Amino acid sequence: MRSAVLIGMRVLTAVATAVTGYVHADLYLNNGYRVIHVVGPGFLLLSSGAFAVAALLLIGGSPVLRLGAAAVAAGALGGFVMSRTVGVFGFTETGLQPAPQALISLISELGALALLLSWHVILLRSRPASAFTWHRWLLAPARRS
Amino acid sequence: MTGEDSEHGMTRRQLMRHTAWFGAAVALTVTGSEVISHVAGDGSPAAAAAVAAGPGALRFVQISDSHLGFTGPANLDVTATFGAAINQVNALGYEPDFVMHSGDITHLTLASEFGQAKEMMADIATPRVFTVPGEHDTINDGGKLYRKFFGAGTLGNGWFSFDIKGVHIISLVNTTSVDALGVLGADQLDFVRRDVAGLSAETPIVVFSHIPLYAMYPKWGWGTSDAVTLLGILRRFGSVTALNGHVHQVFAKTEGNVTFYSAAPTCYPLPQPGQAPAPLPVTVPAGELSSALGIRTVSFQAGSTNLALTDERLT
Repeated sequence: MRSAVLIGMRVLTAVATAVTGYVHADLYLNNGYRVIHVVGPGFLLLSSGAFAVAALLLIGGSPVLRLGAAAVAAGALGGFVMSRTVGVFGFTETGLQPAPQALISLISELGALALLLSWHVILLRSRPASAFTWHRWLLAPARRS
Repeated sequence: MTGEDSEHGMTRRQLMRHTAWFGAAVALTVTGSEVISHVAGDGSPAAAAAVAAGPGALRFVQISDSHLGFTGPANLDVTATFGAAINQVNALGYEPDFVMHSGDITHLTLASEFGQAKEMMADIATPRVFTVPGEHDTINDGGKLYRKFFGAGTLGNGWFSFDIKGVHIISLVNTTSVDALGVLGADQLDFVRRDVAGLSAETPIVVFSHIPLYAMYPKWGWGTSDAVTLLGILRRFGSVTALNGHVHQVFAKTEGNVTFYSAAPTCYPLPQPGQAPAPLPVTVPAGELSSALGIRTVSFQAGSTNLALTDERLT
């Protein structure tokens, strides 16, 4: 049962990450974003990275891939927020423009982050108390002395 | 696996596994990037410009805000920096189809300043030089002197349009009745309405103005009060590019089908919106002024949907 849930979460995370990649690739290819200073190459990197992580997530759920998926989602969200506040290298947008890409991307990125967090919590809870985790290592400095 | 390995770090096998996943992700990212770039036909503005350099491509240059006549610590020699911009255009390695000066050619609307600008711009290696008036070009007389020097062949207060290599260019004046914001006015909006009536929705549109056609920072007058009406007229077009000066800094923004680009000046920078009490000239450290100034090259290849823009610092 637990493994079925984890596989489901892995596939859904892959789908959400692929949607983020598709939206950014579409904006890059068909909506003129590729000529925007710094933002254009950023979209290219984000979309290709998202497709790579999504494809690999269908094969396995390594922590490296989960970290990659989180970086894709957080990076896209960070860019979204900055472009509507302080700007990204002089580039700004307003609200949910361009529509509907902005909203779709926002939903997929928040969904991916929620899935990744849930996935992480499930793994932490099911791990034996003696097993090494970076969280435990970081939260228990006394044990290292 | 040793006990020490598992207690203080990952095992060698785990490390190899993580490295393999990471390597696969990087390799796929690079491959994906190549594929997307290939689909796009190019990967960077510079490459786009190179593609557009083919036969039939439209290539033009935007220069802006030369403020000839300005004296102050922000730029001790605006004539020299304007001359440097012209030299940079002439050193592009190709002859642009036209050069557009997007306003504030002069600082004080003096005949001597207009005369000097006209003389300097005659040295630009291009078949045509077009201009848009800034508020500094119209401040004293509503643009009469500006039109005397640069108004030949224009309508109304200096607006005009033309077609070149598949692109429809519209040059608008939003500085002759500046209140808090720029204003286009009913006559000019009627002109645009009639001007684009016969164009297909696939025609790429480029609109020049001095003051931004979007609300970049209305508190400083960086916007045009009736631009919404203009954008409504242009809404049916698939690709609209609006190029402006006035704000003395490179800036880009999209709203629906329109992409707005503000250009760098050739005189001195202004503060970023809200980063100073008022939009007054910024004095940068000696030797750094040229990095705040620049020119913009734009190209368009027939069959493309968008223009390729490159902002170059003044050299």
